[in-house]
This record gives sequence, C-alpha cells and structure tokens, in this order.
Amino acid sequence: MKVYDCVPGLEFDESTDFDISPCWFQDATHSVPPWTPMFGWFWINFCRHGMQYGAESLSLPTVKGWDWRFKDGGGYLALLLVTDPNERKAREERFKIAIRPLIENFDGIWQGFVDEIVGRYEKLKSLNLDTASNIQLLANFEETIDTTRRMWEIHMYMMYGVYTAFVLFEQLTKQLLGIDDTSPQFHKLTSGFDNKSFQVDKGLFELAKLAQEMGLKDTFLKTSGEKVRDALKSAPKGQEFLKKFDDFMEKEAGIRMERMAEINVPTWLEDPTPAFNVIKMSLERGVSYSLDDERKKREVERIATEKEVLAKIAPEQRSWFQMILKLAQSSSRFSEEHNHYLDLYTHAMIRRSALGLGRRWVKAGAIDNAEDMFFLIPDEVRRAGINPGMFNMRSMVSRRKADWQGWSEKGNVPMIMKEGFTIEEAMKALVESLDPIALKVVVGTMPVARPELKADLYGVCGSPGVIEGKVKVVWTETELSKIEKGDILVAPTTSPSWTPVFSLLGGVIVDRGASLSHAAIVGREFGIPVVMNVFEGTKVLKDGMTVRLDANMGTVFILNK
Amino acid sequence: MEVKEIYWLDELSKEYNDLVGKKCANLGELIRQGLRVPYGFALSVKAYEHFMEATGLKEKVSQIVEEAVATGLDVEQDMGKMIETSAQIRGAIEECPMPPDLAADIGRYYSGLQEKVAIDQVACAVRSSGAVSMPGQMETYLNVAGEKAIIEHVKKVWGSAFTTRAIAFRIQQNMPISWAPIGVAVIMMIEARCAGVILTLLPNIGDTDRAIVEGNFGLGESVVSGDITPDSFVVHKHDMIIESKSVAAKTKMVVYDTCGTRICDVSEELKDQPCINDDEILEIVRVAKDVETYFGVPQDMEWVVDKRFSFPESIFWVQARGAKFAKKEAHKDEEYVIDLMLQLFRK
Repeated sequence: MKVYDCVPGLEFDESTDFDISPCWFQDATHSVPPWTPMFGWFWINFCRHGMQYGAESLSLPTVKGWDWRFKDGGGYLALLLVTDPNERKAREERFKIAIRPLIENFDGIWQGFVDEIVGRYEKLKSLNLDTASNIQLLANFEETIDTTRRMWEIHMYMMYGVYTAFVLFEQLTKQLLGIDDTSPQFHKLTSGFDNKSFQVDKGLFELAKLAQEMGLKDTFLKTSGEKVRDALKSAPKGQEFLKKFDDFMEKEAGIRMERMAEINVPTWLEDPTPAFNVIKMSLERGVSYSLDDERKKREVERIATEKEVLAKIAPEQRSWFQMILKLAQSSSRFSEEHNHYLDLYTHAMIRRSALGLGRRWVKAGAIDNAEDMFFLIPDEVRRAGINPGMFNMRSMVSRRKADWQGWSEKGNVPMIMKEGFTIEEAMKALVESLDPIALKVVVGTMPVARPELKADLYGVCGSPGVIEGKVKVVWTETELSKIEKGDILVAPTTSPSWTPVFSLLGGVIVDRGASLSHAAIVGREFGIPVVMNVFEGTKVLKDGMTVRLDANMGTVFILNK
Repeated sequence: MEVKEIYWLDELSKEYNDLVGKKCANLGELIRQGLRVPYGFALSVKAYEHFMEATGLKEKVSQIVEEAVATGLDVEQDMGKMIETSAQIRGAIEECPMPPDLAADIGRYYSGLQEKVAIDQVACAVRSSGAVSMPGQMETYLNVAGEKAIIEHVKKVWGSAFTTRAIAFRIQQNMPISWAPIGVAVIMMIEARCAGVILTLLPNIGDTDRAIVEGNFGLGESVVSGDITPDSFVVHKHDMIIESKSVAAKTKMVVYDTCGTRICDVSEELKDQPCINDDEILEIVRVAKDVETYFGVPQDMEWVVDKRFSFPESIFWVQARGAKFAKKEAHKDEEYVIDLMLQLFRK
C-alpha cells in the first residue's frame, strides 16, 4: 500500500514552495530532534493555523502569520508578508481596534482562555480509556484534534499580542532609559511574578520538604529515581507520602514531559521518575533553600526597580509607559505560564488519547506497541479506528519508523534556500517581517561574531551576568541528574520541565533561543547568566570543559582547551 | 442652626445658604476646611425683614408696586415706568434710617471686625449675597470704611434688589415683586501684595503628584483672567519640593480703584522678581493639599497675600472648587500605546 505523506498538503515541495518564499527556516527550538509523524502532523497543521488565525484576528500590519512545511521530521517556516502598502494601511486601521481588548484587559482575556481550554481538557480526561468503546475512543481522538486546533488559536492570538507589547517595551527602555536586555535592570522589571509553572515547581519543592519531615530523606538519597517508588512503598510513612505525591501528579504536574514539543516521551503521570529526581535534588541541596523566598526576593527587586525607572521617566510619559511596562510584564508571565496550560497540556492530551487507541489496537492486533500510534497520522487512525481488528497497520508503522530513524540520524538543515539565495538575504526578509514571534522566540537576535574578543562562541544575552563553571552538555531530561551545583548547562534548548534544575546552575548556554524563550525567562527568574543563539554550543562544548560565560557580551570562552 | 440677623463668617456653612446667601455660606465652608478667608460678617435675610418691617418700608414698597402695576407696569411696554418705580423704591430704602437696634448691632460687628484685624476704620467690601444668583443683584461697594458708611451701604445693597433689571427679572419669573430679601456680606478689603491660583494637579497631563502655583502682583484677576503671563511654580506634593520656578516679566497688575478695579503697570525693578517667596508657595501648597484631601478631588483655589499681615497670617483664600482639568480621556493612554505599537510595524 502507498505510504501517505506525513502531513498531506504541507510536505515541503521544492518545485512549488520556493514561489512562496525563497528561504524556509527550520524551527530549531521545537523540531530538533525530528518530530514523529503524528506529532509533526499536529504541529504543522495547527501551529500554522494558529499563527494565521492570530495574525489575522489582530490584523498585524506586516505579516499574515507563517506558512509551515514538514520535511523529514523538521518544521520549516516562511513568513507570509504583506507587501502591498495599501493593504498594510488597511490592516493598521483594523489593528487599532483589534489590539485594544488585550491592552485593556489582558488578565481577563487570558483567564477566560485558560478556563475554556482547561474545560476541554477536563472533558477529554473524563473518558475512561480502558472501558470506553472503540467509537468513544475515536471520538475522543477527534475531540483532541479539535482541542489542539483551538489551543493554537488561543496560543498565537495571545502570543502575537503580548510579544508586540514586549518588543515595544524593549525599544522604549532603550530610548527612554538607555537600558537594553543586557542590563540587569531590564530583567528585574519583568521578573518576580507568580505563575502556574512556578506553582508546580513550588509544589515539588513542598513535597521535598514533606519527605524530609517524614524522615524519607535517606530513602530518596540512597535510591535511584526509577526505584524510589518501590523503596517508598516499604518505608514507614512512605505510603502516606506516595499518596500525596500521586495526588499532586494527577492534579498538577502529571502533564509535564521531558520534551515540550513531542508526544513520544512519557508524561510525569506515566513515569514520575523525573519528578522523583527533582525532589531528590532538592533534598541533596537542602530544603532550607526556598523557592518562595527567591520569588519574593525577585518581587521586591522588581518593585524597587520599577520605582527607580519611573523616576527617570518624564511625568507626562509615565502613565502610558506604565501601561506598556505592565503589558511587558504580562508578556513575560504569559511566556512562562502558557507552556503549562497550552503546549504541554495539549500534547499530554494527544498522547493520552493516542495511547488509549494504541492499547486497544495492540489487543486487536493492528499494531505491536501502543507507541506505534505516533507513526500514524489521523487519516490512518480513522481508517482502523472503529474496527482495529480488521486492519493491519504494521507495514505502515514500520516504514514510517524507519524513515523517522533516518531523519534523526541525518538531522535537518537550518534553512532550505532557493539556489543563489544567500543567508544575508534570508535574514533581511525575516527582519523586514517585523514579526514579533519570529524576533522574540523562534529566530531571536543573530549573534555578531567579534573576533577582537577572541571568544570561542558568540551568542546573545538572555539573562545578564558573568560566571565561570564546568560544562554539562544535556540533550535530554534524563541527563539532568548529572548537574552539580555551579555547573554551566549547555543544551540545544530548554523546556519547562527543566526549570527546577536552574536553581543549581551557574549559567546556561543554549544553541537557539531569544529573550522570551524558556531559558531566558527562567534564567532571569533565577538570576543566572544565559547566553543564547550560539548555534554550535552542543557541538563545540564538552563535559569537563571549564568555560567563562559573559552573558552581557554574549561570549563564551573555553578556559581549558 | 441658630437663626440670627448677623453672623460672623466662621459661624456659617452650606446649611445657611438660604439665610445668608451663597457667597457668605461658601466663605463659611472654606473656614471649616481650615482656610483663612478675609475677615467679615454676614447680614441674613432676617436683617432685611427686620429693616423692612420696622421702618414700614414693607407696606410702602408694596404700595408703590401696586400702584405701578395698576397703571400698567410692563417690562416691554413701558421702560420709563420701570425706571421710575425702581428709583422710587431704592430712594425710599436708602433714605430711610436704619432701625436703631439693627444699626447698633451692625456697629457692634464692625467694631468686632476692627479688633479682629487690629486696624482702625478697616475698609470693607459690601456686597449682596443671594441664595440664588439673580441678575441685577450684584451690587458691590468697595473701600467702605467707618460704621456709618457701612450701614449706608448695607441699605444700598438692599435697595439693589429693586434695580430695573431685578424687578423685570422677577416680573418675568412670576416672583413677588415687592418682597426681595437678600443677604449682605461685609468683608475686609485685602491689600494684596500678590495673588493667584493653585491647582493641586498638573492639568494638561493629569499628574496628581504635583501642584502648580501661579501668581502675579496685585489682585488675582490678572491671573484668573489669563491676560498676563504669571509666575509659575511646580511643587511635588509629597516631597514638598519646588521642582520648577518660572518667573515671568510681569508688566501689568490689577489693583482696587474707588469703585472696582483697574489695571496698572508693575514697577521696573519689581516686574522680574518672583511675586511670592518659597515659604509662601509651600504654605499655599500645604493648605491646598488639606482641602484636596478633605474633598477627595483635585482643587482649583484662589489665594491672595495681604501686605499688612505677617506670614503665614498674610495668606488668605477667596475661592476653592474642584479643579477642571483636561480630564484624562478614558482611552488616551491606550490610543497612544496602540500608536506606538503601530510604529513597530512601520520601520
């Protein structure tokens, strides 16, 4: 049988797609390593839909969102630019009306969306996958698809809106105060807020404290993460602790996954080893350290900085500057919190629903492992959804799996360019889009190599500071356990479930990122230097190296080559 | 509320509006808010009633009016008759001696006033103070000094309720023509070294952390009318720091004349000097802040510095009201922010 495209209609096609754009950028933040076919299908279809929905709802004057293509597990994007000046003008007029609700009532709008989307999750979760009929399982999967579509609409409407505000804020602080994002003051202004992601981290920290109080510290310290559950079962008070732990996983932290933009890794609810490791880490470090105090400290600093900064703003400019400051703070808070309510949660729902079907299909003989579902796309899920016993999906799965393994080994290129087109031209087009998401998250600011500094790597500042420390290159969450106090984390990118480890780190170097990506926001919250967009950090740097990180300059020096 | 014929201003409040008229009741309110207002006393409508009844003028005025009406008193048809009637009534009132007990009472209050300000034969302004403003009843007599003169001018104010305009107004409004009780304010004249206004916010931008004091030499009219460029001082209300001073070249000022005010030149050596010193500025802000706190809204107030008294007793207040300012349009900031956002897409 013919193997379908992974993302029918949106597979990269050299013969036609260069007409849309001579250059397609890889989404390195999310699609490295390459996506499984099912996840790629979801992302390409609905992230693409969400961006166009967001850009259109807000009527962004210069860009209509992005076009996306799937190529060998990689997501490639091109900006849909508005080139006609008259059309730009008309869009500007609509933008004035469309952006207003977000300026006037950011918190209310965001809370409304959170309620809406969490309501959908609750409904999806209310189906018992083990007792449901095949028809119900398929319906659950269809609803998951629709929830994903809606999640991306919310995601990109919010993101375009708040990031526009953030870019404006960056520009104004530069103009009015002479501080840019290398200044500690700048970051102090946008950190020190409570958010859902932080609450989950705090919950884990509270569990560590509880473990200590219950006399379970040794059990944790002497046992490796994956065996903690068994060890606790036989320890006094261990059962009581586990009950609290499981309850917390069920209600709060269970949707966390090692990789935010994938579905092929277990959630913490399925495999809580990473959560046990976080608790273990807290116990090793000593629970006298308090996340809450850290947050409080940031808050106090923020309030003091706000006061300092406002004193420097002319009185007649203060009132609107404060409005923009508040929006920028909302942007930063949204950036950190949306991962929990939107991406992570939805992806956990996709995984849950797909595995529910997968287990049934294994029983019916359509596939060998429930996880094989991730190599199928919704059309194929529908094919065998109601009567999995009638279809053998193994050949489809195995061919796709072979492809996927090939993609992973080969890796994807950072840009697909039309012949004769240069990187410089490509970057210029990107900058001309003025697309706030492109600038703030996916692409970021391009580092400028400054040979006179003789650095080994050049990046841009995500969080200011200068530090020296031992390199620990981390590709996956499971490797986080090797982090020791003061280490420099080197990674392709970081994800929300990595947050707890930041309290141990001396600094962070990521291959890709921008001032509103996870590493930068959390780095600022924890007050540690972060250098981003070094591109080749994970290639150049090796465990055991000692580096000096000057985030203010965006430079990394290897001290023991 | 005690009903009397004469009150000290500090006995009054808004409740006395119908009795002593708006002007005097307002001054009483200002005193209640802790403001020093020019010293004086108020004759209530009871004094008017006493006067009209004890002298038989009540009947006499009714008679004059009845006769006039009988022979066709008409606003449009016969202006001559209106003028004649008015002159007849006003003449009767002004010629009629003040009843001795009332005259003694007024005399007592005037002596009291002289003692209070420690100025013999203190000059006063004698003005009408109606419960509602009524056109034609705005007689003001300035520089009235001495008990006798005060009494004469009180009668003149009562008579001013029978100007042709006032009578015509009452005819048109179907109000009683011959009975027009009105309050009278007798208030010491200020010898203004300088005067001006304070706004307890910066009106253009609605900055409520700051107050602006504006002033000129002489009376406050020149500042209130906006005819000259006054000195202007911006004060931070919480830190009580004078943040900016702009001293204007003040070529003209307004002073009292025998009947009213006139504009005159400011002397060469004085015109570039600030009209008010730092202590006075800060005292003005301090008092205005209290009033703002009392009312809960920014205030627009008129002050005057009397050269005969020493600081801070020299600062008098003549007006206080809620400040009218370019009330921040509800969406002004939003619109500006949206504009700035649009700029981002225009690079």
